[in-house]
Amino acid sequence: MWDGMISGMLTGISTTMVPFNIALVLFGCFMGSLIGMLPGLGPITAVALMIPVTYGLDPASGMVLLAGVYYGAIFGGSTSSILINAPGEAATVATALDGYPLARQGYPGKALAIAAYSSFSGGTISVIFLMIFAPLLASVATSFQSADYFALMILGLTAVSAFAGRGGVLKALLMVVLGLMLATVGTDQTSGVQRFTFGSLELLDGIEFLLLAMATFALTEALSLVLTRDESSDSLDPKMIGFKSLKVSKKEFKLIAPTIARSSVLGFLIGVLPGAGATLGSFMSYGMERNLASPEERAKFGKGSLIGLAAPETGNNAASSGSFVPLLCLGIPGSGTTAVMLGALIAYGIEPGPRMFTESPEVFWGVIMSMYLGNVFLLVLNLPLIPYFARLLAIPKNFMVPMILFFSLMGVYLVTFNDFDIQMMVIFCIAAMALRLMNFPMAPLLLGFILGGLMEDNLRRSLLIYDESIAFMWERPLTLGINLTTLFILFFPMLRSLLASRKNGKGSQTETVDATS
Amino acid sequence: MMLLFSMAYGLLAFKIPLSFMAEQEFFTSRTMPYALAVLGIILALMILLLPTADPAGKRTIKEETRGMDWKKAILLVMAMIIYGLTMKWFGFIIASVIFLNFGFWILGERSIKKMLLASLPLVILLWFIMSTLLGVYIAPGELFYMLGIL
Repeated sequence: MWDGMISGMLTGISTTMVPFNIALVLFGCFMGSLIGMLPGLGPITAVALMIPVTYGLDPASGMVLLAGVYYGAIFGGSTSSILINAPGEAATVATALDGYPLARQGYPGKALAIAAYSSFSGGTISVIFLMIFAPLLASVATSFQSADYFALMILGLTAVSAFAGRGGVLKALLMVVLGLMLATVGTDQTSGVQRFTFGSLELLDGIEFLLLAMATFALTEALSLVLTRDESSDSLDPKMIGFKSLKVSKKEFKLIAPTIARSSVLGFLIGVLPGAGATLGSFMSYGMERNLASPEERAKFGKGSLIGLAAPETGNNAASSGSFVPLLCLGIPGSGTTAVMLGALIAYGIEPGPRMFTESPEVFWGVIMSMYLGNVFLLVLNLPLIPYFARLLAIPKNFMVPMILFFSLMGVYLVTFNDFDIQMMVIFCIAAMALRLMNFPMAPLLLGFILGGLMEDNLRRSLLIYDESIAFMWERPLTLGINLTTLFILFFPMLRSLLASRKNGKGSQTETVDATS
Repeated sequence: MMLLFSMAYGLLAFKIPLSFMAEQEFFTSRTMPYALAVLGIILALMILLLPTADPAGKRTIKEETRGMDWKKAILLVMAMIIYGLTMKWFGFIIASVIFLNFGFWILGERSIKKMLLASLPLVILLWFIMSTLLGVYIAPGELFYMLGIL
């Protein structure tokens, strides 16, 4: 096992440590930080916007760049959360809880430095876990059959929906189905039959994944900035942000060190779960640390606690690295952003899954090793540049929004050179906007769309192998285990609320009896 | 809306052409769309009929969209549509500059100098990177050919 890991690491080092790829990691981190810092734009948008740039690169370099953009965007999101209380995405909401009060107390530099050190530690520790567990899981997964893959995809899609939050599970599941429906548009690869093309030549190859990603995220997020009349980005004067010191004292380091260690492990484990991602990683780390904190420290939570800032920052970065485990080993994305990266992998002509570990080891290990490098770049180069990056937050919305729209439209047009795609993007953008207003989440749609083709192939193959019987869903113990996990994830929230309501019912009955007696 | 979409999708799935041989098979090009249409209808009906678990309750579209700046958003969407239509005729540079400036204007910018300074260098730089550095051919607008300029 260790021999394989060391040779893999060497492959990763030889892939990443070439000047061109080092420059790509640096560029990715830089662009990710810039885009992630803009209020309203998160890592999904950042990665989607950068995909067109990667089309001219080889797959390993492309993935190295996108991985850099991903953690750069999370870092950038933390910056806008801390400085102007405008989290770029849900994963950095918990950062704003203590980061923003700390900045308001006159310590924006310290808050950003703690966020950067925590991100670095969380990212680095979880990359070590990733290096150990990913090859193990990938070697086990080589024995997977079509039926297992089909079951795994169902598990991934269900998990993404199950973590959608209270009241949102059905909506998220419906979005998964909509994504799967969109994936059926175009020529059926097996039979050559056209489906839902309405005679249009442009739809013969199906809907371009980049087009859908841009329309549902970049365009709608830019339009949301206009719709919601959010003036937060306009009200900031970057000259008002003082950066007296980016230093953190030894005492403060000692205070946050155990938090970083615990949150790294928790964040990684949460990230590995398909669908959980960085948001859950950050909130659960924050919650865990608040529960473990002493009463005096707990009282500081929400008012600028250093632990309250370090925990979610470590948690979301650890979870981001963790979400690469299902992506690299099983070809199942762990989050919306890794779903977009999966789409990019497929576009590069790489079949994601355990075979990638043996067939494209340079991509597998290149991504892992580039994470180390990215974490170092973020700490050493991006942190001192933050005061200058922050000026970006002062770009007025009337310039920023049209530029985001322009880059999104261009990103697709310069890949396909088809003006029909621009019209299609607008149609998807309007539909996505309407769905967002009705609180339908977009990440499950994208996940369903990306996995749709693979799911249909695996279902077809499984049925063929098992003589057209759906017994493949339970005949193999592994498939049965995966399906039972899916059922558990799907029905656990219902079971829990049922038990809770029974408990409450009993409680109120006891109270009534007490009151009567 | 999703219920209607799923129903329409299901009806269109019946129109997917199948060869005689394919019709005898268990899994055809229609199988997945049928299953998805049924799933979509069931889920849409469940959302419509089941009591909501959302603590905020089922909010109407009117409540969700109260206070939103629809005028600017609609104008931006129209600008995007026009951009897509003009790209072929005006070419990348002119269509992009018009789109960006129209976007800035919709969002309240009135200084022509600022608008041109923000749009022209950006578009020309992007065009230069794509066509000169990366060697990507970006077709000039049809209008230039029609006017005999090119």
